Amino acid sequence: MEGNSTPNSEDVFAGLEATRVPLKIYQDEAIYRRELENIFYGSTWNYVGLDCEIPDAGDYRRNFVGEREIIIFRKEDGLISAVEDRCAHRGAQLCQSLFGNTGNSVMCPYHQLTFDLDGNLLGMPYRRGIKGKGGLNEDFDMSAHALNRLKVEVVNGVIFASFDLNMIPFADYLGEKMMHYFTHVFDGKKLRVVGYQRQIIDCNWKLQMENLKDPYHAGILHLFLINFGFFRLDQKSACYIDDTKGHSVLMTERGSEEGEEDTGGVKVADPDFQLTDHTLVEPRKEFPDDVTLAIQTLFPSVIIQAQTNTLATRHVIPKGFGSHELVWTFFGFEDDDDGMVEARLRQANLMGAGGNVTLDDAEALEFSQRGLEGSPEDAAAVLEIGGKGAESNDHLVTESLIRGVYMRYRNLMGYEVVS
Amino acid sequence: MTTMTLEDNAVLDPVMRDRVEQLQLRYIHAIDDGPLDDWPSCFTEKCLYLIQARDNADRGQELGVMRFITRAMLRDRATATQHAAVFAPRTIRHLLGRSLIDIIENGEIRARTNVAIYQTSPDGDTMLLVAAQYRDIIVEDGADLKFREKRVVYDTFRLPDSIVYPL
Repeated sequence: MEGNSTPNSEDVFAGLEATRVPLKIYQDEAIYRRELENIFYGSTWNYVGLDCEIPDAGDYRRNFVGEREIIIFRKEDGLISAVEDRCAHRGAQLCQSLFGNTGNSVMCPYHQLTFDLDGNLLGMPYRRGIKGKGGLNEDFDMSAHALNRLKVEVVNGVIFASFDLNMIPFADYLGEKMMHYFTHVFDGKKLRVVGYQRQIIDCNWKLQMENLKDPYHAGILHLFLINFGFFRLDQKSACYIDDTKGHSVLMTERGSEEGEEDTGGVKVADPDFQLTDHTLVEPRKEFPDDVTLAIQTLFPSVIIQAQTNTLATRHVIPKGFGSHELVWTFFGFEDDDDGMVEARLRQANLMGAGGNVTLDDAEALEFSQRGLEGSPEDAAAVLEIGGKGAESNDHLVTESLIRGVYMRYRNLMGYEVVS
Repeated sequence: MTTMTLEDNAVLDPVMRDRVEQLQLRYIHAIDDGPLDDWPSCFTEKCLYLIQARDNADRGQELGVMRFITRAMLRDRATATQHAAVFAPRTIRHLLGRSLIDIIENGEIRARTNVAIYQTSPDGDTMLLVAAQYRDIIVEDGADLKFREKRVVYDTFRLPDSIVYPL
């Protein structure tokens, strides 16, 4: 299914090895439009929400796939459907609130066309006109004017949608290895939302995804983690990549470092700086293994974060080539006790729009966008750390996951393929 | 137990009102003009400082952009921001409305104050960072009034930028 895009006469990757990524792909309108069509509106599964966000019949949530606005509904039969948030009549937005309940149908506020929660057109005012005058002709086919539907799959409480109605099952899309890590966090236990954070970050959406495929930065940029000894690149760690090279996971185990810390020449800002209140970072055991950090990126647009007890999905919503919205959905489990709820809330100080750790990321990503905009036509990022390939590693000093995702990207975009 | 209702607000001791507003001003100037190390001193030892998106507040979700429950945690944040964070330099400017004193009960003053917070980039561009409301519980602590609880509920829940400094 992949790689069948029309040949692209303007292949910015032509002749480039996997270690080079042209800076043009972060700042070109035509390339961005092609990404929306070939990736977001093509044969991919896109994160759109959690099952527990719309528990009751008639509940809905608005969200985005690429730049297209969609609504997910909980139907009477308990199943979830997804449609584009665009009336089949003249294109008006149907729902305005982010969350709500719409009963067993949804009505366009403009001309009151009514649709069922599968998107079928049920009716409209004055369909037969007034006193035989006006209205729709007899031959108007109601069934041909449904809302644009998306294919939906709910996987252990997480909802994915695709514009490709023939999309392969989610488990096949992820592959066995990535499903293993996905179900490490989403093991089927009932989820509970802890809260949301939303922020605009002025950089290309791909830079956000790359950042979580770049474990090399974590032990360098994040002074908070380094200063307090929470993260060391010499901890027992690994990064895994799937066969399609689009998905990946990186993980570390706490307390597994051996001997003197190998700081690899990283400048530690202030060795005397200590936390006075350590409860900020006290972990509670919650998964059977010793993994304390597992961050999975699912191509194209969701990051699943399990850092000690802060569990969150980070949904990347592109907003033009130079900006994106990052929506953090912090979650826990329905059976969390008060102590676990408190631990999640407290550790959330490290994450999100003002997190001690993640605000570094948002800032560095904006530095990247500002730096690369206006670069010469042939400028390219150099990705040679950890070799030239895109394999899994038992360390984090590597850019192999980034090289990997661009192999997948080149394929989907109809550019020259490398492996 | 002495309870002062909203009607009594009109006769609120002007000295007390002035002290409440002085506390608010001390708080914002510690952030806007520094030193940031003065910011935690506006709080009682055990306290709640919560920067909360309005949509979370409306649903009763306690998640915060910052959520601290001791003054020590506030101090840690101030230190971390100054010594263990990477961000572009910026200037913050708070514009406060007057405080509406909702109720005084058991020595606690509950007040709501509207605030607009502007941020200026290193290139000199100013933008509205958030429109927000302080929902405070203020108490006597020694010779001073302090925040025992400060909820910063921000309406701008699709934040236009990262939150580096307290709001």
